[in-house]
Amino acid sequence: MQVTVLLFGPQATLAGTREVVVEAASPTAGAVLEALADSTESLATSLPASRLAVNHEFVDASHAIHPDDEVALIGMVSGG
Amino acid sequence: MSSDLGKPIVEVAVLDGPLGKPTSEAPAGAGAWLVFEGIVRPLEEGRRLVALVYEAYPPMTERELRRLAAETAAEQGLLAIHVEHSVGWVGVDEISFRLSIGSRHRVEGIAATDKFIHAMKRDVPLWKNPVWAPE
Repeated sequence: MQVTVLLFGPQATLAGTREVVVEAASPTAGAVLEALADSTESLATSLPASRLAVNHEFVDASHAIHPDDEVALIGMVSGG
Repeated sequence: MSSDLGKPIVEVAVLDGPLGKPTSEAPAGAGAWLVFEGIVRPLEEGRRLVALVYEAYPPMTERELRRLAAETAAEQGLLAIHVEHSVGWVGVDEISFRLSIGSRHRVEGIAATDKFIHAMKRDVPLWKNPVWAPE
């Protein structure tokens, strides 16, 4: 399943793009993170401390992702 | 302004550019009114900064700030919590973040300030992108 993942801040800078399209082995958040690690080496070290948000809510690895969902990688945050 | 039926006042604002002067006031019944302001430093990682450009993910950023503020208020028994955070360009010496907390006693106000900021820096979708001074 193809999933578009939005990127922000340092992760967007590292990847050189504001979004990455990955091919996930299964439609879950965990599979999307694995696909990101495989497809975008520049993000690999920051992924273990990152979380996925689906439709603006944090989700766990087992969360099912549907075709119309908005998926975003939330990592390396630096508010304040 | 006072809290209604014992519920804490929770206000969150994500604003373009540096923050202006504070407008929130201590709620009725407060024995402590704590205002923390985050200021853009002139140096970051040993390099001179011109500004930080803050990035948010609307509407998730505001939603998470509001959720964190409400949780903090409930856990610490606060009377009020006001959160203001900048997006966009904030220059050196300008204010990018303000947390104003009203509590009956200083202990819970001080604890809430530290806990909120720690959790915000760890979890809330906000990013700062440095603009470096020419070398």
